[in-house]
Amino acid sequence: MSYLARRLALFVITLLLITVVTFLITLVLPGDVATMILGTRSDPATLAALREKLGLNQALIVQYGHWMGRALSGDLGVSLIFKEPIALLLGQKIAASTLLVVMSLIFALAAAVPLGVWSAVHRDRWQDTVGSGIALAGISLPDFFWGIVLILFVARWLDWLPASGYASPVENLPLALKYALLPSITLALSLMAHLTRMTRSAMLEVLGQDFVRVCRAKGLAWGAVIFRHALRNAVMPVLTVAGLQLGYLFGSIIVVESLFNFTGMGWLTYQALLNRDMPLVQATVLVIAAVVMMTNLVIDIVYTVLDPRVRLS
Amino acid sequence: MRAILSPKGIIGGALVTVFALVAILAPYAIPANQATRINILARLHPPSAAHWLGTDQLGRELVWRVLLGAHTSLVIAVSAVVLSILIGLPIGVLAGYYRGWTDHALMRLVETLLSFPALLLALTISAVLGPSERNTILAIGIAFSPYLARIVRAETLRVIALPFIEAARSQGASDSRIVRLHVLPNIMAPLTVQATISVAFAILAEAGLSFLGLGTQPPTPSWGLMIQASRDYLDIAPWTALVPGVAIAVTVLGLNMLGDVLRDALDPTMAVEG
Repeated sequence: MSYLARRLALFVITLLLITVVTFLITLVLPGDVATMILGTRSDPATLAALREKLGLNQALIVQYGHWMGRALSGDLGVSLIFKEPIALLLGQKIAASTLLVVMSLIFALAAAVPLGVWSAVHRDRWQDTVGSGIALAGISLPDFFWGIVLILFVARWLDWLPASGYASPVENLPLALKYALLPSITLALSLMAHLTRMTRSAMLEVLGQDFVRVCRAKGLAWGAVIFRHALRNAVMPVLTVAGLQLGYLFGSIIVVESLFNFTGMGWLTYQALLNRDMPLVQATVLVIAAVVMMTNLVIDIVYTVLDPRVRLS
Repeated sequence: MRAILSPKGIIGGALVTVFALVAILAPYAIPANQATRINILARLHPPSAAHWLGTDQLGRELVWRVLLGAHTSLVIAVSAVVLSILIGLPIGVLAGYYRGWTDHALMRLVETLLSFPALLLALTISAVLGPSERNTILAIGIAFSPYLARIVRAETLRVIALPFIEAARSQGASDSRIVRLHVLPNIMAPLTVQATISVAFAILAEAGLSFLGLGTQPPTPSWGLMIQASRDYLDIAPWTALVPGVAIAVTVLGLNMLGDVLRDALDPTMAVEG
């Protein structure tokens, strides 16, 4: 229990620090939010009035307090480019990106686990060279280039799937899945590559252990040893890496969603950054960091439940 | 040593050597105006004897642009990684060497930065500072530094637990002497491995930032920018995307192969896993 309590306390501290970092982003800007809204050539009196209204004349710590207070009550301000409450925008976009991320996680795991096991079982033979080669190529291809290749072949030449766009899964699920297919395959590539490497090395480690030799010695079929015994022990670190890579995935969605015009969190973040819509930048950056942190926390807790050794160390 | 001379090591080493040579020599070997010269009459020509790798939407020769793009990639990626080491190394060594409260405070900071996906952090920094070559280096360097700090801390913790540190301390060596003469030389190997892999990631990051318009700015030849420009001409001129894309893939592949091999050779704890 003390491990969990300590972990939770650290989570809260880091979350607080994340809000501080996010809040400080706007301070690095040349000029301030009032200048951003009104432009650099606006009337000084109007600027001063807006500063007063936004509370920009108050001490930093007070401003931070106000900002946090509003954020905690669900008020993230109004986007400068979309002229809409940010909380409303975020709700829709998070749902879209969740669909994308879940699909790419499934694709990545479905490809990586068999490939990694295949490589490990045939260690140092041609099968391993092929499997490890695919993984190495996967981590070396930039996702936007891989996405463009997919657009070129699957969307333009074969005309199987739409090259870009988005449909809401609530309104039309089949269409939504069709639009999400190419971007999620694009996102899955580098994740698949990392997971293949992880599966391979985890399997190699397990296959070298005594209980595997015992299984073999008592006459168990090789297939049963691999899938029923070895893989079950190798899968934990793979799932951990999959969870940790979610953070990486949330970076990649910015590029991939923009490439496919898939209007999710990544696309929204990109629009905010491109137009220097600071309230929206703060909100999207904060939400993404918080999601990444929470995923890490959940993985830690699940790990503790499944593997008691973590709690004791 | 055996690992470095494996086929993987030789191919990786060769690719990285070619990339480095091209990147360093290209600006001297290719006349400056060659890569930026616009020739509207020769727009979007496919690869041929006259245009080796084809031309882009402004009739510029892709062969010169892709070679000069290597220079941009190398300069930005290596500078960014050097910057991330300059920031991450002292933080990691301080946290690992002094432990206790120093460690707690510094690691909180590092963990906080790690909660932001590196690409998001780099994009945000670049957007806030305004995109330029210098700010791209700053953005990637800062975004990568927490990863460096964490690895350096772990390695420092490993080294200071070894008996020779205790021996040095009992002889009255000062903290700075121990760090300089004993800690730093012993964390160089894992740091080299990490730096190699980081350069690969930094090349990908630079390409990604430029692709999104928040990295290198035109008319500087950059692989990410070239792919960005190719998007409108994919149907009629797919080579404008394939040429820079293959250049990135091959370069990063070489660095990753070299990184794998160096890790096997330099890091005895990882070598067992093959």
